[in-house]
Amino acid sequence: MEESPSMDDHQDSSLVVGVGLCDSAPLLWRLQDLKTVRSLGLVGALLGSLPRTPRQNQRLGRPLLLLPEEEKLLRDEEAAGDVGGVELQRRFEEDQQRSFEEQSVLALEDRKSALLRAMTSSHTDEALRRRLEALDHSFTFPQSAMAVQLSTARAGLSYCPEARAHLQANWPIREQNSPRSDARCQVFRDLRGRGFFLTSAGKFGGDFLVYPGDPLRFHAHFIAVCLMLDESVCLLDVLAVARLGSNVKKTVLLSNQRLSDSAAANALSWSLCPTSLRLEGHEVKQTHQSLVFSVIID
Amino acid sequence: MLLLWVVNMADQNKTDTEGKLFSEILSPSELFAARSRSHKIPVRGQKDFFPNDSDEQRQRLEQSLNEHWSLISEERVERLGNLVKAIWIPSDQIVELQSPAGKFWQTMGFSENGKQYLLPEEALYLMECGNVQVFYRDLPLSIQDGYERFLSSATVSLQQYQVFGHLKRLGYVVHRFDPSSEPSSYARQLNLPQSRDRAGRQLKRKRSPSPTATCSYTEAPVEPTVEKMEEDKCSLEGDHVKKLAASPDIQTATTSGSDEGRSWWTTDDLGASDKELHHSPTSRSSRWDFSSIPFPDVGSSERHPSCLAPPEPSLLPGDLTVGVCDIASWRRKINLRMVKMSSKEQKREEDKRRRRWDVNKDREVRRCRNWAEYHELLARRQRKRKGRPAHLWNREVTPLHDPRQPIPTGELLDKISVIKSTHLLEGASRLKGSEEWRICFNVYQPDTVADFKKSNPGKPYSRMCVCSFDGPVPDLRVIKLLAFQSGDIPVVFAVVDHGDISFYTFKDFQLPTDVFP
Repeated sequence: MEESPSMDDHQDSSLVVGVGLCDSAPLLWRLQDLKTVRSLGLVGALLGSLPRTPRQNQRLGRPLLLLPEEEKLLRDEEAAGDVGGVELQRRFEEDQQRSFEEQSVLALEDRKSALLRAMTSSHTDEALRRRLEALDHSFTFPQSAMAVQLSTARAGLSYCPEARAHLQANWPIREQNSPRSDARCQVFRDLRGRGFFLTSAGKFGGDFLVYPGDPLRFHAHFIAVCLMLDESVCLLDVLAVARLGSNVKKTVLLSNQRLSDSAAANALSWSLCPTSLRLEGHEVKQTHQSLVFSVIID
Repeated sequence: MLLLWVVNMADQNKTDTEGKLFSEILSPSELFAARSRSHKIPVRGQKDFFPNDSDEQRQRLEQSLNEHWSLISEERVERLGNLVKAIWIPSDQIVELQSPAGKFWQTMGFSENGKQYLLPEEALYLMECGNVQVFYRDLPLSIQDGYERFLSSATVSLQQYQVFGHLKRLGYVVHRFDPSSEPSSYARQLNLPQSRDRAGRQLKRKRSPSPTATCSYTEAPVEPTVEKMEEDKCSLEGDHVKKLAASPDIQTATTSGSDEGRSWWTTDDLGASDKELHHSPTSRSSRWDFSSIPFPDVGSSERHPSCLAPPEPSLLPGDLTVGVCDIASWRRKINLRMVKMSSKEQKREEDKRRRRWDVNKDREVRRCRNWAEYHELLARRQRKRKGRPAHLWNREVTPLHDPRQPIPTGELLDKISVIKSTHLLEGASRLKGSEEWRICFNVYQPDTVADFKKSNPGKPYSRMCVCSFDGPVPDLRVIKLLAFQSGDIPVVFAVVDHGDISFYTFKDFQLPTDVFP
């Protein structure tokens, strides 16, 4: 199994990420999976409440929703496995009881150390010993005071590299391939391959927001709009999206596919290389009458 | 047989004979220590624009990522006494409470047969907030279990839950929309009188301006808000006063024009065409040499030939020839003075005129061959005098309005208008419902939470229809249908895009007309 050049040479690359399907959407739940996917340059989108502060929308928590292109990329690199339906019978009651006992011990110790801190040096050792003893007798740790975890991810099995092929075969078929989704996929792969990070850009009137580095640290540079192979674009639409881009200080990238027969890279298959037409948003603003196109051809 | 691979070791991992489990379970000491966790989230720093390979950037990225992972990795830890216990009943797709409900009961859940229940989306939200622990088959469900079990097309979809959660986190009260429980339009008519006053309707829609809330990098708003982007033709709040500037402008133009025009011939002393005319040069240069163009003053009292010479043949089109013009009859009609006659004189003049007048002298009368035609002629003349000429009113196409009828300007403008204005709900009652577009939620304002009553929630603030950027844009038919179902509550479209939610709403109002009632 050859690894695609976009994957980092990382210890995580041998891991398989567990994808849970919720209402046919691919979600990642385990922290390690999120880290793995981030190391592959895939950002995704967090959907859930943040455990620390659940009642705000600025920072969200797990699960991570994958773009269809991200999911496809993971599947193609055989790095994703379906975790659905695996249930483990833990000995819940016993675990809870053991946890309660340990926590009571910890609580008592915590109380004792607090007592020690509060006692001044004027008190004799005898008084201290008596106080501690009293605490031992009277201290109660009610059940309701026990700390309990509400797990985010479901406990389950993890997968080893040898199981990849098996998982790939069992992946549920959900999507229908349309020319539009193919175009998006190709553009995603190409831009990801060049080292860009991509997220969804519906709010910006495009297909992807293209970041030069991790979105946590950098602003997006481009709004990528994917065009299909033979699609003709109305000039008014081009102008509208360019104007939008200049308003949000991003360059609009009109991307489409161009079939090329690159015999050198891979003898047996076609490879698709997108041609990107870059439309400088701010140039449209300056030269009111004429549009300046700068074309990148690769 | 699958070989298992160890990814994460926690204190409580069990070792089976076959391999290791993966879990993110906290140890009792970790659970205990979680009581003193901070509840603050670190503020995000400024972002850079260009990546350079500097150490500084690398460091900051690492710091941001570490911060990110530490926040994301935190598990929910709650005091057992604070948790409400509940169980999931898949057959009814409902969550039943096993211990008394907390504060959330004021706005969420319902009672039936003496038991308290929560809807799946409400239960999942409360699980995420750490208020409720839901059990299934005696085991607590994880958040992942909740998402996978509670959200489906039968209950609430993932996208709808995203909108639900987003609004709940902002503080709104969100309930499922039930079209059958809405009053019919007739019932509404009885209770709520429709206001016909256009100005009144505009005032009713006044709402406080709302700052944005969907951009993930804005500051946390103090009061919850909803971002609305309105797609309408032009916005009108209050009345405009527009001056009818058209006619006065034209008038001034003509007067100025005629002033200038008058200048070139008043300065002439006009006479015969062969006289050399000199005039002061006009302020505006023109291609005409007025000194050589004769403009006879027909009205002057000077002695004047009673004939006008024909114009130069070169100025005439084609082979048109014009002879000499006899202006004697015209000259008799100008420069007349009004004669003031006494009443006796006036009467004498009138008698004279009447005796002189002979109906047969009228050419049109002579053309009438019989009485019927004569009557027709009289009627035609009557109509013309009264303002209804035959050529206008006796054909297939008649004027839009009889000028003799009084009409207010507003109605006249309505008559003239080619496009009839309509309102959103016109024809909406005839529309059949569609499967893909429906209102999901009623949304109530957060400041009503204190005295919110589930049994009588009152009028919602808005109603949500959840869709996505992948799907079609709602067309007029859908908007009409949903507006009709909603009644007088605005419908907001919550468009979900992989974690981002944008809110759109359509406003219905009338374009202004230049009429002051």
